[in-house]
Amino acid sequence: MADRPVFESPVVRGYETADSGDLVLADASATTKWLVCASASGAVADRLGAPFGSSSTGAGGVIVLGSRPGEWIVLGTADAVDGAVDGLDAMDPSDHVSALDWTHGRALFRVTGPEAPRMLEKVCSLDWSDPMTPDGAVASASVAKVTCDIARNDVDGTPSYLVFCDRSFGQYLFDALIDAGDEFGLVVGPATGQ
Amino acid sequence: MTMSRLGSQPTEVIDRSTTLRFRWNGKRFRGFEGDTIASALAAAGEHVFSRSMKYHRPRGMLTADFWDPNLLVQVGDDPNVRAGHRLLESGMDVHPQNVWPSLRHDIKAANGLVARFLTAGFYYKTFMRPQKLWPTYERVLATFAPGGKVDLDTPHRYHDKRYVHPDVVVAGAGPAGIEAALAAAAAGARVILVEHEHAVGGHLRYSSAESARTALSELRAALDASDVEVLTDSTVTGRYEDNWLGIVQRNHPIAVERLIKARAKVLVVAPGLIERPFVFAGNDRPGVITSGAVRRLINLWGVKPGERAVVFSANSEGDAAAADLDRVGVEVAAVIDGREGRRVSAAQGPPKALEAVVAGGTRTDADLLVVAAGWTAPTSLLNMAGDRPVYDPDAARFFPSDPPSNVLATGGLAGDGSLDELRAHGAATGRLAAQRASAVAHRLQARTARALEVTGDEPDWAADERTPLGRSPHPELYRSDTHGMIDLSEDVGSKDLVAAAREGYDSVELAKRYTTATMGSAQGKLETVNTVAAIAEARGETIAQVGTTVWRPPYAPLTLGALAGRVFEPVRVSSIHPWHEANGVHTILAGQWIRPDHYGDPAAEVRNVRTNVGLIDVTPLGKLDLRGPDIPNLLNLLYTNKWSKLPVGKVRYGMMCAEDGVVLDDGVTGRLGEDHYLMTTTSSGAASVWEWVENWLQTERPDWRVHVTPVTTAYTSINVAGPKSRELVSRVTTGVDLSPEAFAYMEVRTATVAGVAGCFMWRIGFTCELSFEIHVPAGHGLHVWEALMEAGADLGVGPFGLEGQRIMRLEKGHFIVGQDTDGLTLGPSTGLSPLIKLDKDDFAGMPELAWAADRQLPMIVAIQPDDPGVVPEEAAQIVRGDTNEILGRITSSRMSPTLGRSICLGQVEPELAAGGTKLTVLLTSGQRISATVIDHHAHFDPDGERLRG
Amino acid sequence: MLLVPCPNCGPRNSADLRYGGESHARPDPATASPLQWRGYLYLRDNPADWLRETWYCRSGCRRWFTLERNTATNEFRDPPLPGDKRGGKA
Repeated sequence: MADRPVFESPVVRGYETADSGDLVLADASATTKWLVCASASGAVADRLGAPFGSSSTGAGGVIVLGSRPGEWIVLGTADAVDGAVDGLDAMDPSDHVSALDWTHGRALFRVTGPEAPRMLEKVCSLDWSDPMTPDGAVASASVAKVTCDIARNDVDGTPSYLVFCDRSFGQYLFDALIDAGDEFGLVVGPATGQ
Repeated sequence: MTMSRLGSQPTEVIDRSTTLRFRWNGKRFRGFEGDTIASALAAAGEHVFSRSMKYHRPRGMLTADFWDPNLLVQVGDDPNVRAGHRLLESGMDVHPQNVWPSLRHDIKAANGLVARFLTAGFYYKTFMRPQKLWPTYERVLATFAPGGKVDLDTPHRYHDKRYVHPDVVVAGAGPAGIEAALAAAAAGARVILVEHEHAVGGHLRYSSAESARTALSELRAALDASDVEVLTDSTVTGRYEDNWLGIVQRNHPIAVERLIKARAKVLVVAPGLIERPFVFAGNDRPGVITSGAVRRLINLWGVKPGERAVVFSANSEGDAAAADLDRVGVEVAAVIDGREGRRVSAAQGPPKALEAVVAGGTRTDADLLVVAAGWTAPTSLLNMAGDRPVYDPDAARFFPSDPPSNVLATGGLAGDGSLDELRAHGAATGRLAAQRASAVAHRLQARTARALEVTGDEPDWAADERTPLGRSPHPELYRSDTHGMIDLSEDVGSKDLVAAAREGYDSVELAKRYTTATMGSAQGKLETVNTVAAIAEARGETIAQVGTTVWRPPYAPLTLGALAGRVFEPVRVSSIHPWHEANGVHTILAGQWIRPDHYGDPAAEVRNVRTNVGLIDVTPLGKLDLRGPDIPNLLNLLYTNKWSKLPVGKVRYGMMCAEDGVVLDDGVTGRLGEDHYLMTTTSSGAASVWEWVENWLQTERPDWRVHVTPVTTAYTSINVAGPKSRELVSRVTTGVDLSPEAFAYMEVRTATVAGVAGCFMWRIGFTCELSFEIHVPAGHGLHVWEALMEAGADLGVGPFGLEGQRIMRLEKGHFIVGQDTDGLTLGPSTGLSPLIKLDKDDFAGMPELAWAADRQLPMIVAIQPDDPGVVPEEAAQIVRGDTNEILGRITSSRMSPTLGRSICLGQVEPELAAGGTKLTVLLTSGQRISATVIDHHAHFDPDGERLRG
Repeated sequence: MLLVPCPNCGPRNSADLRYGGESHARPDPATASPLQWRGYLYLRDNPADWLRETWYCRSGCRRWFTLERNTATNEFRDPPLPGDKRGGKA
């Protein structure tokens, strides 16, 4: 019998990668991601600290996204995410709380660069201007006809977006983003998250 | 009319140092960079560009722009190219359209001789009857139809798409539009300025006046220094609800066309005015041309439009054209001043040229007749916003009436004035637009969850304090004392409209459809008001009384490619897909899923499952993770059967019906833990069942504590089926006792498979073999599949696809929702009445199912053709004897490799549902075959011995 | 394209939502007559006027909600705005 295998990303095609560029798309599907459901207000919501539409960063670099009213995506390293979700279900006996490991269910990509908003407006009808989608904003929308969760999570002041979709759409969406970014000189960066 | 190239003009847009070679009608031509196709041809002396649609009359240049109805050409494999607009490119192969056999000798011009038979409605009236001859008529008429040739082998060209959210979109970059854009941007608005032509400037571009040239360079410099995004050769094609705009950008570097979908906070409409042709005898003759076209030819492209001109002018633009002609050496033989009540009556000459102009009884020799008879206000975007423009007889055109307050008009559309007045009105409009846009932006931001917190109060909705533009008097010039063409695109004359009105088609909307006036390539931009005027005249009423047609999108014709935009076609694959591809898979597209259909021989795959063991990738199976104490209540509500007592570790089958009792979906749900269940749905129903569940939980039972998470692709699902499946699974599984006593049929366990912990394994199957369905965390799905393949090599393990599974499920008689059921199939028709528990308090569709229980319903039955070698087509009808009375249909059919005979499921009328009933099946070949209903759904292993093993 | 005021996300393109149609209360299945039940299933008022209708924010918050819209003008009655614009409840 084989040893415990490594995580296989939904992005299976080979790409020439570059460490940096004006617009970089990277596969981060291996990042640990959990989904937490609870009341939109209450002790659990307070601890997670990211009301619907916003995000927060916590211990160990964990990012909490308020992805829907009463739903949060928690992502980061496995240990940090464990820490962030540990004990949530026991915080408030009157609240119905559930947390599940969604790492395998969602593909995750990060696209970074000053032209990233211009690229996204080719595949998504949201308004990417700073007032409407500031750093920290979280929304769900159709990206190239796939429903995605999107979080703006700037890197050193450069616009950067996390895009989540159902794992099975991962390869399609990755290619659709490459296609959209082509006119802005998009490069594929090394995969992260493992 | 003899055209030729002039010496250099101060306003010209051509680059005489760059010569472009192209072909027209098979002959070699040259033009300059900056020429349109038409200007290059005109400069080379061409003066006939097309034949008219019905009568095949030779046609010359009329407006020399996008709207020119006579300048539609074929460029390579691209039909209906507007030669008055499309810029010349080196190597273009340009052909005239609608000519047969040639532009010079057009056989169909004989239609002109029988013109009196081709009056309004001729085609309708003549070819309506007898109806059975229509296919013949159609074939003959098609060769006469206008338009270019579509090459069906044209390669797919890339069209792009973009979504934008500007504060202000300005449609039209004339002086007023540019000022509006500049003022709005100066006020801090994000502005997109859209110009239909290849450059900004509007009428300033082709004015030779020093003041116009100064103003233009000033405006261009200001635009360059601003943040305004300028889109030239682009058109706002439509305005929809809440200022949703379609913009087609024709000159994008990476695409043939880019469709921009803009959500503008405020739309400024500044398209200017379109020069209107005048109706008189011979007005469609080559050599009759609008004043704007003359000025464009001279000033933009340095083309001398003729040698001896008559100018019919009713306004300053016509006077300017006369001055331009005089300046470049065209003899102006006469100016007929429309403001003094004079009219041009006829243009005369041989078929392809102008020889003389008749006005007021005087005949003047000329090869060019320039017409400046007035303006059409292109109010399209205002109409689309709900405005109903009003006709002003003193100014002889329509004006905006009461558009919504987030749509503002400026420029010639809004009124007349000096250049300074127009610019000032534009700037005031831009400021107003920016103010109103800031209020919209504030509100959007305040209400959008993800947006930045807004500061301050929402700005007031700024009042419209613009100084209105005046209205210059203009004579109402529509038709002379003679009749002529109104719609040159469609070959509809003023007489046709009079005839239509006489026949009772005297409302503008009816007359338009009856005569097809305004329905051609110019889409009413040139001919709408003349059409209205002709009907008004025929009815003895005013234009205001008749009213106008409603302009609808698109403002300008655009290609289907642009409309379709960039086509996204998402596809889904499972984690095992790379293995399938490496192992000779034949895929099938099921919804968005690319699935293995088979690997070369589905029958062999079936036999292998029946004798050894097979693996199928069933990842698309819908999966919902359910958590919470109220799950049994939810399942009781959604499924027809009972769920209160399902123990942990057990799996149950359930059928869902909609509120009308029709079968919605089915699948198994397993209890993984005290408050943790996994629900499966059909692959095609995965998304809709999720919405269905959410609807019940959110709207009908918001107090229930259940969290639902779609996990369809969080797990790679593998069904291991066949007599040797237990042996195979046991080789890679740890932590679970797989013996039949410890892990029975319809049970679920959590196991470690091939080193992957957290796999759900349940003993169910669609194949009627002993089977284990394993749901593996998807990031390890390929690994587990490969481990199973490796571990089972000596057991004869092999993959099987959807086709093999479909055969085996049909052998077992399992129905598939949507295949064997349809939108009318009530729950009991499936034969699963025992699973419909009418003694429950409530469940979806319960009342309908209760009432249905007493009725005789069509039933799903298993059917075997009496000739075992015949496989009736799916959807073949079941009929009564030799009649065509339909009593049912075959819903699934296959040749069974296991039984060596054809097997079917079908739906039949209740009286035919009993086992042993003989049926007649009508094949599509017309042959009737006999078949027999069997006692139960399963053709194979009806007692389920293999499955439970 | 209509902007639909989702009470959670904010204004969204109607293509982001699924139209649930006129809002109708579900009759008690235990006592409903066929006429009542089929009225619930099939009969719609379809007024050219203000109408209560349900929407599902399919691409956004995935919440069902009810809005009032004037079918003649496509005007929405202001949705009840959440007290705190971040974190309102459907």
